[in-house]
Amino acid sequence: MKVLRRLGVDVSFPEDQTCCGQIAFNGGFRSHAADVAKHFLDVFENEEQVVVPSGSCASMIKVYYRELFEDDPETLERAQAVGERTRELSDYIVNVVGTSDVGAASEGLVTYHDACHLLRELRIKEAPRSLIGGVQGVELQEMEDSDACCGFGGLFSVKFPEISTAILNEKLKNIAESGASAVVANDCGCLMQIRGAMERRGMNVRAVHLAELLAEDGA
Amino acid sequence: MAPTPEEHSNKDAFILRVRKALGRTEPIVHMPDHPSLKSNAVRQQEKVRTVIARNEARRSQTLDRLAKTAAAASWNVRRAGDAEEAASIVAEIAQQSGVKNLVRSAEDVFKRVNIDATLRSVGVSPAILASGRTRSRGALRDMAFRADMGVTGVSYAIAETASCAVTPRRGVARLASLAPSSLVLLIEPEQVLESLDDFFAITRLNRMQARGRTVNYFNFISGPSRTADIEQTLTIGVHGPGEVHMVILG
Amino acid sequence: MAEVKSADFKHAAGRALRDEKLQHALDHVMEHFVGARANVIEADFGDESWEAMRTRAAAIKQSTLEHLDYYLDMVDKSVRRNGGHVYFADDAAQANAIVLDIAKRNGVKTVIKSKSMVSEEMGVNHVLEREGIEPVETDLGEYIIQLAGETPFHIIAPAMHKTRQEVSSLFQEWLKTAPTQDIKRLCVYARDALREKFAAADMGISGANFIVAETGTVCLVTNEGNGRMTTSAPRIHVVLAGMEKIVPAIEDLALFLRLLPRSATGQRITSYNTFVGGPRSPSDEDGPEEFHLVFVDNGRLNLLRDEVMREALRCIRCGACLNHCPVYQKVGGHAYGWVYSGPIGAVVTPPMTNMKVARELPYASTLCGKCKDVCPVKIDIPRLLLHLRHKVAEGTAGERSATWMERLFVGQWHGAMRSRRALEGKANLGRLLTRSFARGGKVRRLPFAPMVSGWTASRDFPAPAQKSFARLWREELSHESGSANGTEQR
Repeated sequence: MKVLRRLGVDVSFPEDQTCCGQIAFNGGFRSHAADVAKHFLDVFENEEQVVVPSGSCASMIKVYYRELFEDDPETLERAQAVGERTRELSDYIVNVVGTSDVGAASEGLVTYHDACHLLRELRIKEAPRSLIGGVQGVELQEMEDSDACCGFGGLFSVKFPEISTAILNEKLKNIAESGASAVVANDCGCLMQIRGAMERRGMNVRAVHLAELLAEDGA
Repeated sequence: MAPTPEEHSNKDAFILRVRKALGRTEPIVHMPDHPSLKSNAVRQQEKVRTVIARNEARRSQTLDRLAKTAAAASWNVRRAGDAEEAASIVAEIAQQSGVKNLVRSAEDVFKRVNIDATLRSVGVSPAILASGRTRSRGALRDMAFRADMGVTGVSYAIAETASCAVTPRRGVARLASLAPSSLVLLIEPEQVLESLDDFFAITRLNRMQARGRTVNYFNFISGPSRTADIEQTLTIGVHGPGEVHMVILG
Repeated sequence: MAEVKSADFKHAAGRALRDEKLQHALDHVMEHFVGARANVIEADFGDESWEAMRTRAAAIKQSTLEHLDYYLDMVDKSVRRNGGHVYFADDAAQANAIVLDIAKRNGVKTVIKSKSMVSEEMGVNHVLEREGIEPVETDLGEYIIQLAGETPFHIIAPAMHKTRQEVSSLFQEWLKTAPTQDIKRLCVYARDALREKFAAADMGISGANFIVAETGTVCLVTNEGNGRMTTSAPRIHVVLAGMEKIVPAIEDLALFLRLLPRSATGQRITSYNTFVGGPRSPSDEDGPEEFHLVFVDNGRLNLLRDEVMREALRCIRCGACLNHCPVYQKVGGHAYGWVYSGPIGAVVTPPMTNMKVARELPYASTLCGKCKDVCPVKIDIPRLLLHLRHKVAEGTAGERSATWMERLFVGQWHGAMRSRRALEGKANLGRLLTRSFARGGKVRRLPFAPMVSGWTASRDFPAPAQKSFARLWREELSHESGSANGTEQR
């Protein structure tokens, strides 16, 4: 919010918003997901542009709503219209606003985790990196296998916590080996997973959302 | 246990179920639209003519490329200026490997490359691996398994993948290029093709022109027999030859 | 048919995770396959041409499936023209009966086999053994797991979980060989033991990587030479093939032979490709006198019938999706509980076997999408897994099997998410409850939520903020003005 305003974007937060429905959709409960997705469409249908700060939510809206409403042509049309106007945050700033410098400042080495849906559903790879590069005082240090899954997978981490943790361990190892003092991701699920484990283990690395980093002003 | 279906007894019912699963009730009458299936003999001949002309025009580059890809695929590559040199290279390889039992196929290339003479000069007497009139299936197999080197020609050699197409037939036993632990293949320049596409285009035309005398069996040999099934450690020479030599004329 | 143990996925996965030796093997092998594949694709084609090849291969396989009735008939006619025999088996029992019948008719005592996943589905080895016929696997990896009495761990590296010491002990026990740590030596032991079998066998059974409809040619892709041996030494050759193995034209093989080995092992081509369409001709020096091709359905119709799932039958069994899957990389192949493992195993096992028994498999994925990116025939595996999850949650009575707890959770979530007011009501309750377990903004244990208690075993759960963002917006943010010269509208 702060970042977008700093860029001169007129932002609002429709208060009746809840969820895109991905959690039920991924669980297989499509009728429930469809209800919630319709609510999402009701709330956002008249907005000119929808900016989503999480890769998996954005891919749900832009990619998987097509699947969800394939037998409901009327809603499908609405979903496609909203989907076209929906942009993930980094993509929006770099490719719509047209800047990589949002006037943020922080410090230290930062490494970037490619959230799966952001990378492989939306094919967004460069925008977040160029935004990190645009933060004053910050240097991007790539980790090994930055495109490897963190093991969250929503429901997956609840159903199979042991496997999820084993996958996560690889990610944590790569983060630690990068030598960065912060890991940035652009997906709330990945962050919950990574942050939760780093805090439990007392790792001296911050896990921050891209938006959080961009909101920092060096103070 | 379910009763044994006779061959074909279940065919119609099986295919009907497949059709139903695909949401159709009627059989497909016209061949589906697939270009490489629809090309008829005339068009295929035209295509192959272009393939052959291209390969002739680029022969020397293709020979070089074959030598390169083959070396990368663990072939021992030797190039011979003429048939005589090729024959002495084969003898040299046999001698270096300390070969005792050498078998070869009976095919045209040996009329030009007289390996029998050069081999005898280094003390190896080649035997022809063929059933002849007296040799049974078991006897041929025993002979092949006893041999430590096999020498045969090829139908084609494909530069793209360093693959030698070997077509067993009268005089060319399947086991000649398979059972001995070491293999030597003789390749003549006009047998070399640039790509897999070239090979299959020609193969298709040959079949179309064969009129009932179809070739039911051929192989690509593209390197030594290998496995990595124990601890992902590459080991050569499991069931087939662990040592493979390519002698290219030209 | 091979027993389906997929219901035990979670526990089997847990055992694999705690097996250090196995974890070491998985790390090593997966890294090797992933690296080799990437290198050879970059060296030979580059991303763009590779993508075009995948698109073309996907289209050819899909079109073949859409016309499968036509092509099955075409293969049948081609093979018969070549002098071979063709059979159509609805299920594993029928296929086993056909194989047994051919063996008995010919007084077969020993059968040599080159790798066939369909034969694993059928469990044909047990059937032959019961009838006093000795089946011998000849792919080294398959031979090792046959001696160990196991199923393949990986589609192209079936014994990757075995160490040289374990292989040595197996050979000591079964082949009476001396103990050794030398892998080359172990290979020689196997070679010698199998040579005797090749010489003795009356029948060879192989799988099929591709079957060309127009020529009736079965294409086998191997590295060891056992495929050639199986199709050369015995008097009878039987091919077991899933009905989806067909490609229309012989010229299509050029494309598929480029895609398969690169995707599988990172090789440009495997050491051997065998092309066989019928028995030897009378003038041939050697080779089988009889050729039998058995097409097997065994649950594939369930995939074909479902328009979404149909594309799973494009699979050419390269194993790339296994190698790149973060879940497979950790739990390996046996956890999946049937013949096929990894992402494609999770896709095909439930429809081919039993939706309820294999209900966990569609969930055994983080949906990270790597499988889809590496698939040489572009199977959209995440989409198919989501489709199966839909069946588990909301499908027909035969498919549905979500637990009461999952239903309760989704019901509550659904209630909360249909409006902001409902959400805030429930969220406030949740916030209160969760915060009561939080220490310093973190939740270490959530005892009232059995579904997520496993989560907090290794990670902290973030305690909800005191105020929701919506409340923050209402009370504070919305009053701050945006930039005065904003040119963008929202």
